[in-house]
Amino acid sequence: MQGIAALQPYVIAAFLIWAAVLKLFTRRMRSQAGRTALARLVGTARAIPTLRLIGLAELLVAAVLFLPPVSPWEGTAAAALSTGFLAYLAYSSLAAPTSSCGCLGTHSQPVNWRAFARAGLLLAMSVTAISARPFHPSTPLLLLGLAEALALLGLSPELDRHWLIPLRRLSVRLRKPLAVRPSRDVPLEASLRVLYLSPAYCTASARLTSDVQDVWDEDGVRFASYAAGHRTAVFAIPLSGDDPRTVRVALVEEPTPA
Amino acid sequence: MTSRRNMLKSAVLAGGAGIVGATALGSLGAEAAFGATSPQVEPGTPDPDFAEGRIRSIKGNTLLVLGSNMVFHNIRVVDGTSLWKLGPVGFEQAQPGDGLYARGVRMPDGVLAAESVWLNIVNIKGHIRNITSDKLHLDHNGKEILCHVVPGRSVAVHSDAPASADLSSLRVSQHVQILGAWRPGTNEVDIATVFSPH
Repeated sequence: MQGIAALQPYVIAAFLIWAAVLKLFTRRMRSQAGRTALARLVGTARAIPTLRLIGLAELLVAAVLFLPPVSPWEGTAAAALSTGFLAYLAYSSLAAPTSSCGCLGTHSQPVNWRAFARAGLLLAMSVTAISARPFHPSTPLLLLGLAEALALLGLSPELDRHWLIPLRRLSVRLRKPLAVRPSRDVPLEASLRVLYLSPAYCTASARLTSDVQDVWDEDGVRFASYAAGHRTAVFAIPLSGDDPRTVRVALVEEPTPA
Repeated sequence: MTSRRNMLKSAVLAGGAGIVGATALGSLGAEAAFGATSPQVEPGTPDPDFAEGRIRSIKGNTLLVLGSNMVFHNIRVVDGTSLWKLGPVGFEQAQPGDGLYARGVRMPDGVLAAESVWLNIVNIKGHIRNITSDKLHLDHNGKEILCHVVPGRSVAVHSDAPASADLSSLRVSQHVQILGAWRPGTNEVDIATVFSPH
């Protein structure tokens, strides 16, 4: 337990340094600061200076955690920072539910459970770090540190494009979840797309007063009828091929219902 | 129904009786496109010939619909009314709870005689978060919408290419626009068309 507590300052410090570097030195972060929930909290004009201040605070806390001597107030400072993150996340999910948090670089996802889990994990690690003594590395502890770092990274939607999206793309490529079953049926929507692009439809569309009333297939042709005021517009769309110029139309006096 | 279909078929293919306008090119001519006059609606006022809302009850051929602005509409569906629910459907497919958009003619008694009714139709944009068996997980402003691929119905339109029943070229994280039918009371949608920019 003592070893675990002693390990925490280093994991927290590494994470905070990364967060601070992104806030202080990436241009894209600054250009999109106005779209984060922070802009809502402090005003768009003050978003960038506030972001820099938070970055500096993170860097400061990371420095005291990283550098000797070890003392309880260092963990307390990290815990205070983590509590601040949690409070900010709670604010942004209530006040600006569609904005991103701007915690670690830019992304367009609003605050969700992963952001809370990440800040919660950071808080738990910080509280543990309060009782830290000087660190003596061992393999299990280093593995634990690595696992914690991976958990923090895994909970960061900012990094999804580096691992989650390629992983899902690979899975889709292997499993082919949308593979087409062999079928000779032409979906109605496919015929309607040909219809909408056809000169026949373009000239008749201003007269149409309804959507598709009736549709049926006969002899390789799909017929679709529409109301056109007191008349009926009927289109003939070839089922094979997708040349819109082959679509024909006729405007017919509405037949008496049979 | 069959005799009516035969009459319409002969009209469009062979130029049968009752035809008002049709040409060998298959179009009505430019004057036809501009010949019809569209109804004038004062800017800023509601269109009296349009209604939207959710079906509260169905009596005979009349739908009682509560609009999102808390105004009730009586919508009458007749033989010539087109109904859409992921495609053309019969009146029996309309269910209480369905959302709808309706267009028609407002009668003096306030009833909207519908020419077209679209049930549960939605048009949403978003990013594909994930693809699982016959489902697209769409990220729409941070909220997940589960979009079901309906075999024989759903098509994909890639850029200007013709519509295809093959949706397998859709990719995780790409932007799409989905036209489909909402499953009332859920965050799920049946796909009619997926529009992909590439």
